Amino acid sequence: MTRMKLNVNGKSAEVEAGPQALLVDVLREALGLTGTHVGCDTSQCGACTVLVDGEAVKSCTMLAVQARGRAVTTVEGLAKDGRMHAVQQAFMDCHGLQCGFCTPGMIMSAVSLLGRNPRPSEAEIAAALEGNLCRCTGYVNIVAAVKRAAGLAGQR
Amino acid sequence: MSAPFEAGRFGSGQAVQRIDDPGLVSGKGRYSDDVVPEGQSYLVFVRSPHAHARLGAIDTAAARAMPGVLGVFTGADLVQAGVKPIPVEGFKRPDGSPLATAPRRALAHELVRFVGEAVVAVVAQTREGARAAAEAVMVDYEELPSVTDPLEAMKPGAPALSAAPDNISAFMAHGNAAAAGQAFARAAHTVSLDIVNQRVAACPMEPRSTVAYIDTDGRLTMRLSSQMPTGVRTGLSTSLGIAPEQLRVLVGDVGGGFGMKTGIYPEDIAVGHAARALKRPVRWQAERSEEFLSTVHGRDVVSRAELALDAQGKVLALRVRSVANIGAYATGAGIAIQVMIGPWVSTSIYDIAAVDLQFTAVLTNRAPTGPYRGAGRPEAIYLIERLMDAAAREMKLDPAELRRRNMIAPSQMPYKNAVGQTYDSGHFEKILDQGLALADWNGFEKRRAESRKRGRLRGRGIATFLEWTSGNAFDERVVVDVTADGFIEIVSATQAMGQGIQTSYAQLAVDVFGVPIDRIRILQGDTDRANGFGSAGSRSLFTGGTAVHAASERTIDQAKALAAESLEAPARDIEYRAGRFVVAGTDLAVGLFELAAGQPEKRIRAEAKTTVSGPSWPNACHVCEVEVDPDTGEVEIAAYASVSDIGRIVSPTIVRGQVDGGAVQGIGQALLEQVIYDGDSGQLLTASFLDYALPHADGFRAFKTEFDTSIPCKTNPLGAKGVGELGTIGATPTVINAIVDAIASSGQGRAAEKIQMPATSERVWRALKGDFGRPVFG
Repeated sequence: MTRMKLNVNGKSAEVEAGPQALLVDVLREALGLTGTHVGCDTSQCGACTVLVDGEAVKSCTMLAVQARGRAVTTVEGLAKDGRMHAVQQAFMDCHGLQCGFCTPGMIMSAVSLLGRNPRPSEAEIAAALEGNLCRCTGYVNIVAAVKRAAGLAGQR
Repeated sequence: MSAPFEAGRFGSGQAVQRIDDPGLVSGKGRYSDDVVPEGQSYLVFVRSPHAHARLGAIDTAAARAMPGVLGVFTGADLVQAGVKPIPVEGFKRPDGSPLATAPRRALAHELVRFVGEAVVAVVAQTREGARAAAEAVMVDYEELPSVTDPLEAMKPGAPALSAAPDNISAFMAHGNAAAAGQAFARAAHTVSLDIVNQRVAACPMEPRSTVAYIDTDGRLTMRLSSQMPTGVRTGLSTSLGIAPEQLRVLVGDVGGGFGMKTGIYPEDIAVGHAARALKRPVRWQAERSEEFLSTVHGRDVVSRAELALDAQGKVLALRVRSVANIGAYATGAGIAIQVMIGPWVSTSIYDIAAVDLQFTAVLTNRAPTGPYRGAGRPEAIYLIERLMDAAAREMKLDPAELRRRNMIAPSQMPYKNAVGQTYDSGHFEKILDQGLALADWNGFEKRRAESRKRGRLRGRGIATFLEWTSGNAFDERVVVDVTADGFIEIVSATQAMGQGIQTSYAQLAVDVFGVPIDRIRILQGDTDRANGFGSAGSRSLFTGGTAVHAASERTIDQAKALAAESLEAPARDIEYRAGRFVVAGTDLAVGLFELAAGQPEKRIRAEAKTTVSGPSWPNACHVCEVEVDPDTGEVEIAAYASVSDIGRIVSPTIVRGQVDGGAVQGIGQALLEQVIYDGDSGQLLTASFLDYALPHADGFRAFKTEFDTSIPCKTNPLGAKGVGELGTIGATPTVINAIVDAIASSGQGRAAEKIQMPATSERVWRALKGDFGRPVFG
């Protein structure tokens, strides 16, 4: 076991984890951030997507030690001053979620996309969400939510 | 406190934000795997690498000796401990003898019958420790010949999965074979199709996760992801020999169900047994590969389906011979879906006098089948809708016109179909007309010509259909508590799993109580609080919602009597509005919550048990246009329109999400999805999201989705019809009919009808060259 310092959701956190511990397991188990989900074992589903230095990363493909010295953001860290992030709000407004299991990963991928491309086309949204699977919505309202969030972000 | 509430924007029919959304978008969901009991241990299964084998010695000594290992359980250990198999009964073989199956046990005993069957359970202090110990378990397998094809399984000399040498687990015939035979003999036209409805995997994004522990009251408590908490409790009770009241099943947020999370699974029993035996919390988290290997799969049926028509295109008779591959063990639902529930809708919305239907459920060395969104109705509707198109092509009629000529008229309602099911309501032609208008049916040839100019083959498909909802469970009980701190708690045994039922219930409660929706709390997923069938078969709104409405009204009635006492006025003078009881014509009033606070129990409790008078029969018209790239065989959904009759709508946003999301699942089956077992080895070749193709976000989005709310359901006072499975049922035949049309237009003509699902680009490309693969029935 290694003692390591991580920066998660703007806070410094000390955790004990083995050198092979995956970031997702440390987030869920050591830090209790269960909003990051595990939906597969082959890095296909994207339910575990978090931001590392603002970029979407599947936290099941990254070792916790690799996150040292970098800023990790999970879905729990998106709201600011009790106000939801535009993407979270848009998912609710557009019925972009049903069971909600893929939702945190979808939201993090969308936040990452809008961070680098604030006005994405529908095709760009679909491409950015290629690594996130949803079984409930058929993606119809997820894409609509990202489009809406892009609009909302512009208004702010 | 007693000022009236403003609640109008939250009642039924309003597009409201779902009440569970704020938590779910913030990472505050409580899925099964998010809740960790103190002192938990981890269970890992050793699973069979063989499709069929005799279990020899199982050496667990090395595993037991590993650090942190708490227990190792084999099938023999569980038999020794008195753990019983999951019961299944109620169906018969062709000779009238009881259904055939080997006992489905928590852990395999003596024989393994499919790849991935759980053989040994290893429990350790850590997950890594349990995994390592599972690797150290030595199992001697004596491999046996296996069979994964149901037609092969019925042949003499095939490996037998149970005491029945022909592997036929169950059989049912419906209708009147003689009458149908006469109709075929005098028919002006007949069409026949051999059709594969391939095996698919439900794939809810949340894998199963089960935690069992002995609670402080000494009872075995299980927390898991399920659509049917009470059914799980019954299953546990039966297998572990514990009285139901000595068990508690808890369900939190459910990350998708689609029918796959309806019954108890062998793994749940093993986890429960381990927790009892070890007297400590035991947690099992399924990996995705385990989900592909060992959850129930859906569909998997091959059929020869035939239609007899007169010279005007009136259908005289339907004949079906279906063989369902139900896998290694019969499950009650797995059989019922194929031999009974599907047949109930086999004539769909058409007035067909004679049917001759035979359904055979066959055991093979595959994982068992069970419910998957639609469960039997997609299979039946796929047959009749493919046949309708084939008949239209045979008679050179517009496929919409042929359907129109056969639709049951509203004046025929209530209508009893040829297998004895009674439809309460429906105006199918009206739905068809709206569907045709929405899809611009008559403008198709122009679009086809335009596609052709771009080198694309355009095809158009239609399905007009109904389905049966309820799960044949019509009773619901709801308990309402008005609390002193200002909430209305509604307890139901139905179960949210993403379909949004909590919000719809809350909207129904707002209708009665007239309070804001944030005053309503829906409590589910605790067998100590509520028992019932659970959520499956698109039943929750019309059965459970009826109970919510009745219990809410009863609460007001009971509270009115309490208000009369409190206000010292006769009950008949008390009026209720928006959270307040007022003595008519005075300013004397008491708030609902204030009244609750004044009661000795600090609450007002009422309950209602309701029974709806039958199933609901939602119906729809779907129209799809595809564009096929002849160079690659790639299919693009160019347009999709649907009009649905789901009776009264409580939550407009939610039902649209159900229809569109459901349609994408149906499109997934049409174009992409297939569970594949290797025929020789019985190995599962599609055990990950790498190998099993699900729709991605780059699929199709431009749905035109409309509803006709003018035809209320008559079996329940809400007037609501089920909606959860409707889109899935309609989308599959609609898309395939469009693809057949595109291939037929390329010069293949009627041969195009031989294409089978999934219509992958390879299959379509081959079909365009006249290669349709092997015949279904050899």
